Amino acid sequence: MIEYIDVHKAFDVPVLTGVNLTVQTGETLSIVGPSGTGKSVLLKTTNGLLVPDQGDVRVDGESAYFDGDETLRRIRGKVGYVFQYAALFDSMTVCENICAGLPLGVNIREGWVLEKVAQALEDVNLDPRQVMNKLPAELSGGMKKRVGLARTIVGRPEILLYDEPVTGLDPVNTAAVSRLIRDIREKTGVTSIIVTHDIEQALEISDRVALLEHGVLRFVGTPGEFQASPDPVVRAFADRRLAAEAAVRIMEEDAADLKKDMEEETP
Amino acid sequence: MNKLIRRGLLRPLARVGRTAEAVAEHAGQMASLSWGVAAATLRGRVSMRSIIDQFWEMGVQSLPLVLVTAVISGVVTTQQGGYQLTSTIPLYVLGSVVASSVVLELGPVMTSFVLIGRVGARITAEIGTMQVSEQIDALHSLGRDPIAVLAAPRVIAGTITTPLLVSIANVVGIFAGMVAARLSLGLGYQSFLYGARMYWHSWDLLYSINKGIVFGFIIPLISVHMGFRTRGGAEGVGRSTTAAVVFMIISLLVLDATFPSLFLN
Repeated sequence: MIEYIDVHKAFDVPVLTGVNLTVQTGETLSIVGPSGTGKSVLLKTTNGLLVPDQGDVRVDGESAYFDGDETLRRIRGKVGYVFQYAALFDSMTVCENICAGLPLGVNIREGWVLEKVAQALEDVNLDPRQVMNKLPAELSGGMKKRVGLARTIVGRPEILLYDEPVTGLDPVNTAAVSRLIRDIREKTGVTSIIVTHDIEQALEISDRVALLEHGVLRFVGTPGEFQASPDPVVRAFADRRLAAEAAVRIMEEDAADLKKDMEEETP
Repeated sequence: MNKLIRRGLLRPLARVGRTAEAVAEHAGQMASLSWGVAAATLRGRVSMRSIIDQFWEMGVQSLPLVLVTAVISGVVTTQQGGYQLTSTIPLYVLGSVVASSVVLELGPVMTSFVLIGRVGARITAEIGTMQVSEQIDALHSLGRDPIAVLAAPRVIAGTITTPLLVSIANVVGIFAGMVAARLSLGLGYQSFLYGARMYWHSWDLLYSINKGIVFGFIIPLISVHMGFRTRGGAEGVGRSTTAAVVFMIISLLVLDATFPSLFLN
């Protein structure tokens, strides 16, 4: 179980202003919301990549911030993080990258290590013989994301954090990655938190959806509740047409403000 | 009047304050990084293979450029020294001038400048790129310590490699000076060596190697530190690399200036 307790975080300006959220073991939760509202920041507080200015994040009852370095190491051992742009190590081959997800000190030339790497690649629908010895620069965006996922799952984490796993992918790869997330969850029963802008993906693969706006959670509920919510902000996210209308409205308001400012400044 | 006071007095003071704050911040972070490197090394968390890789990149691959710089340092010192000594002081004194200049100053400093340009800038750009592309975060999330994986091998390799390169630069610089003295001034090898031995202190060699150790520690330390501080994409990497080179040059010159008062009195 993951508990976010009154989490605050600021980078010059406040980003998170008191987030309270509990994610149950085995649950899949998607966090949606406008860009820059702190979704990835919240995700990074889970395993200590970012330290909250106030509040706490507890993983299975242990705090990464107040219970010492050993606890932080233990939490990082059970939490896998899939980065937005895969964050593969440029100077390493795919095989070496995936080995980095295994415990420290394993010998890359040992048979069981190579078997594990090959299995992880097969789990993400990549052919080990084709990609094993390639450098990240030789892979497409979708393949990089899948290798990033393979690197994360090879260590068999109990919790998976996905930071915009389908951003920048074409519809075919988006569907493939969504299917992978669902398959991994079904096979391993892993707890998952997914930060995404893809509402369809969020509604399709999540047990619950949370909407983060201006640093606080505006909505948390099941996909059905999300779609039926009367809240206009939630509705704008749930319905593409409404989202487009909201975008046009915001742009019109900005243009009107700009025109008004220019008129006031003109002598 | 208030405006004048604010512009004339408070703004410069505020700037001094901000600069002092930045210097203190860098110093604190570098002290913490040094401690982290020492802790990782003592706990045996640094991969020997990574140290050897860095040793190869910093030492062996820098050698040609270090040799060229050393030869030029020796030749130029000989020519300028010869010009100044003509018809006033015996020419064999040139041996001492060249040996002392190369061992005390030119060997360590020119070698370190080569390393700043060749190695320091590369380290900052490499780690800066890793920082902005979340590779450092990936190391953290995979339970790896970036200080043990990235910083320690570079700092250890720099601290070992630089005094070795300085020693080679010293020998090559003096030899080049000796050959240049014979070719351009007609000073024989025996006379050059006689002059060199005349004012030679064995301590000078230790002083030179000490400089190499300190510079070899500080160059990768600053470059790693600046790499870790990089923010803001490709532009940030460029900004950070430039700042690191300036920071390394200034630090090196300041340290170089403090060395004589600390060790030559």
